[in-house]
Amino acid sequence: MPAESWCIEMEHNEKRSQPGFFRRLLRDWGPLLGISLGTDLDDAVTVEDKYRRYPQPWLRYLLFLLFVLAIVYINHFTVEFTGLTERGWGLVKASLQGLITPSWKVITDSSTTGLAYMLMETFSIGFLGTLFGTVIAIPLAFVCSRNVAPRWVNLIFLVAVTIIRSFPSIMYGIMFVKTVGPGPFAGVLTMTIGSAGMLCKMFVEAIEDIDKGVIEALDASGCSAFEKVRYGIIPQLSSSIISSVLYRLDINIKNASVLGLVGAGGIGAQLIFAIDDRRWSDTGAMLWGLVVLVLVIEYVSTKIRKKLATDIR
Amino acid sequence: MRSILQDLLHVFYPRSYTLANGKQIREKFSPIPYITILLIGLILYCMKIAGVDFGLLLAKGRNFWDMLERMIPPNWKYYDTMKKPMLDTINMSLLGSVFGCAVALPVSFYLSGNFKLNKTYLAAHRVLLSLLRTLPTIVVACYFRMVLGMGALVGTIAISIFSYTICVKMMYEYIETVDMGPYEAMVSTGASRPKCMLRAVWPQVKGYYISTVLYCFESNVKSAAILGYVGAGGIGQIISGRLNLRRYADLGLVLLFMTATIVILEGIARFARRKLVH
Repeated sequence: MPAESWCIEMEHNEKRSQPGFFRRLLRDWGPLLGISLGTDLDDAVTVEDKYRRYPQPWLRYLLFLLFVLAIVYINHFTVEFTGLTERGWGLVKASLQGLITPSWKVITDSSTTGLAYMLMETFSIGFLGTLFGTVIAIPLAFVCSRNVAPRWVNLIFLVAVTIIRSFPSIMYGIMFVKTVGPGPFAGVLTMTIGSAGMLCKMFVEAIEDIDKGVIEALDASGCSAFEKVRYGIIPQLSSSIISSVLYRLDINIKNASVLGLVGAGGIGAQLIFAIDDRRWSDTGAMLWGLVVLVLVIEYVSTKIRKKLATDIR
Repeated sequence: MRSILQDLLHVFYPRSYTLANGKQIREKFSPIPYITILLIGLILYCMKIAGVDFGLLLAKGRNFWDMLERMIPPNWKYYDTMKKPMLDTINMSLLGSVFGCAVALPVSFYLSGNFKLNKTYLAAHRVLLSLLRTLPTIVVACYFRMVLGMGALVGTIAISIFSYTICVKMMYEYIETVDMGPYEAMVSTGASRPKCMLRAVWPQVKGYYISTVLYCFESNVKSAAILGYVGAGGIGQIISGRLNLRRYADLGLVLLFMTATIVILEGIARFARRKLVH
């Protein structure tokens, strides 16, 4: 190789590694705007260079951030900070003390005003609501799914279920309290309707995922309709249905504590009265009870759901 | 007779057979009968405690429709009065969800177990979170109302806390399932930890995060209606007030708007989820 040509190549390389001003500007700042010069990526010597020259969607993020900030700005008229109430800090201190020293009188009380009974009532509302909701939701879900009923039937029922689901649950509470009188039964009915709507949505997804091949195979081997349901549909659906029901049970037991506010039973009413009356140690006892109940249910339901999920595989 | 009893008994207790070669074998033990009995017992006990009485429902079920009938037709003139609280409710849940979920994102990265952070800190934070998560929103709102006074701020704070706990939990559980290959590759090139998370993990969880935020927003609008009951702003105050005055026509309009809002939001959320996740 003659020395001259080697020199020319060297010069050429140097030229390539020293691009012009605008090109450099574009190379260094372009990525911030999401623009990238493809050739420069090949030129990059170190990984860091390459990383820096990769198109970075900062502009998009910035616009999104501005959008969020705009939402916050528009909404800040709603939310006005008027400062703490007079005895705000004292209340914080007293309530924390109440949490640390829950009232043992409430905890050990075994009558109908005691903690155990109230928790049991809350659990009953959530549990029975989920159960009855499931009973209503299963046939509804079959009617709503595409592979069982004709499309127009689906649409009618889907619209009905969506409206039922979107109706605020607190209104159901109020209406059922007016219907059957205050007490946990109204809570059960409220939970039933609320969870039926949500469960129906989940079940429809499960039913639409069914593998039709299994049923065809059973058909071909001469099974009756009952056998087709028993051996073709139930095994495919049961685990997903159980897992959504357990998931719903979780939520319902937590929500059951709210219903007390409109007189539909559960621990909620007592809890809020206790907070309003500033009986902090009673509040503490009830809160700890509620926490334990919800955590236990959540733990059990997560365990069962995990087991179901691994059984499928 | 005896054999039927024995059959019944063997539902709970597996049969054992003696084979020709003298070997004793047992049927597989199934816990299902026991679980069924326990469940039936639990259901009956709960029904007793909750005072479930379907006869009562059948007898007085008419009242339910009665109230609905009195809401129709809704009083359209009430629109001007209920516009602001209605918007307040939506604003509260929007602001609360955005704020709670925005704070939740970095925290959930640091709480997921696959970045090998301090175990004790992780466990402590997780316990604290699950304690917070079990508190009903209404109790949090009630508590803050005492400290901060009435207003939408209280509702926003309560909703933020709720969204934060839910979002963190869902996110860290999801982040633990992502593919850590890209992350390790980036760490080995010497990039800083936050950079690695941003470039290697964030793209994998982006869709799920957005769908979580939408889910939070949706469920918050639904639950925000009740917050007004304890003086935390929004439509709840209107509902309870109209109910006490027995202005059912006004209530009909409020309900119509709430239902429509939630249906529309659900539609938007479903559309966005389909666009973003897939």
